[in-house]
Amino acid sequence: MPCKHYKDALIEAAAGGAEPQDELHAHLAVCTDCRAAFKQEQSLFASIDTGLHVTANAEVPASLFPHVRARLDEESLPRRIWVTNWLVLASAAVMVVAFFAARAVWRPNAVNQPVVTAVTAPPQNQGSVAEPIIEKEVVPKHELVIANNHPVRETLVKGKSKPEVLVPRDQEILLAEYAEHWSLHRRPQLLAHEFDSTILPPLQVVPIQIAELDVKLLAEEKLR
Amino acid sequence: MQELVLVQPGRTVGDELEPDAAQAETRREFEERLSECGPLAYRVARGVLRHTADAEDVAQEALLRAYRRFDRLRDRNRFRAWLVRIAFRLALDRLRSGKRREQRDTLWSQPEHQPRTATAEDIAASNEFQENLDDALAELPEKLRLVLLLAAMEGHTIEEIASMMGISTGTVKSRIFYARRQLAEKLRCHANIIKTR
Repeated sequence: MPCKHYKDALIEAAAGGAEPQDELHAHLAVCTDCRAAFKQEQSLFASIDTGLHVTANAEVPASLFPHVRARLDEESLPRRIWVTNWLVLASAAVMVVAFFAARAVWRPNAVNQPVVTAVTAPPQNQGSVAEPIIEKEVVPKHELVIANNHPVRETLVKGKSKPEVLVPRDQEILLAEYAEHWSLHRRPQLLAHEFDSTILPPLQVVPIQIAELDVKLLAEEKLR
Repeated sequence: MQELVLVQPGRTVGDELEPDAAQAETRREFEERLSECGPLAYRVARGVLRHTADAEDVAQEALLRAYRRFDRLRDRNRFRAWLVRIAFRLALDRLRSGKRREQRDTLWSQPEHQPRTATAEDIAASNEFQENLDDALAELPEKLRLVLLLAAMEGHTIEEIASMMGISTGTVKSRIFYARRQLAEKLRCHANIIKTR
């Protein structure tokens, strides 16, 4: 066993790989145990270095480079597809944003300019109505709400153009008559009795059939 | 035979080939470094994992990651250091997940320990001291372990390691010194070489 006083110095000298100096050198010259321990320490560190060399310089498998190159080839192909997909998605996103931006810009102007929808009445009813083509301006629902509460209403119907209105087929005559009254500055009520009964026959309701009921007083029932 | 290239109207042939050319240039540059740095990645991983197949997997993954980010690396001279860090980090992650998996398997499914199949390399290095050394190496702090592995690899000077790790040569030397001393202490316990009187 080495002397306790020189133990650390021995290890440090062996770890450093240098020859012991001064006091330690002198001690090793006279102490056989410390000299033997020092040799063992040197041997230990040499074994460590050899083992580390084996571990750190392991032979590289021959399959490493072919495998890496194959994966690099795979990597190159999907990358292009990925880039293409992103370009398509980015273009779509830009178009959507542009659409909403345009809509947001266009909407404030639309409040001041009522939309006009045009449709001509069918020609077969022209004989019974004075003017088959009805002129009226139509405003979208949300704009009409504004018109009911504000003076804007007066500007909505000006009749400066000849607008046309889409109506259901069975209401053509009724609306034509209403338009005629409107043009004469009268505002008649749209009542059912003014409507031609030949177009819509009156609804036939069958009377409810109820069988005769046998009504008896409870008192009579008890007496029996 | 003349090669024909389909080009959209309004675009030149140069525009079509530009991304491919850039990618080919990146690939060429990477290939130049691959033959030199591939073994480095493998050995770093092998030093941590001590398993040939796992180390190869990790080296492949490290090289692939390095390739994906190769364009972002401004200083190409730092490639070796960069790759070493990637490989080392991935190897540590693999080691930790392997330990967790091993614990799970031991707890839940494996009544008996199944020894893994020994490779030729394992057999070659199967002496007791080497096993103890590898165990002791695995217990070293990460900083010390990586520097020690790099120092033990052929062809790495202290200056190169310092440059790769981004630390001073003095720090490299002191880490090597402390790492070897810690290894010696662990291995001395097995060998019972020194007993003070």
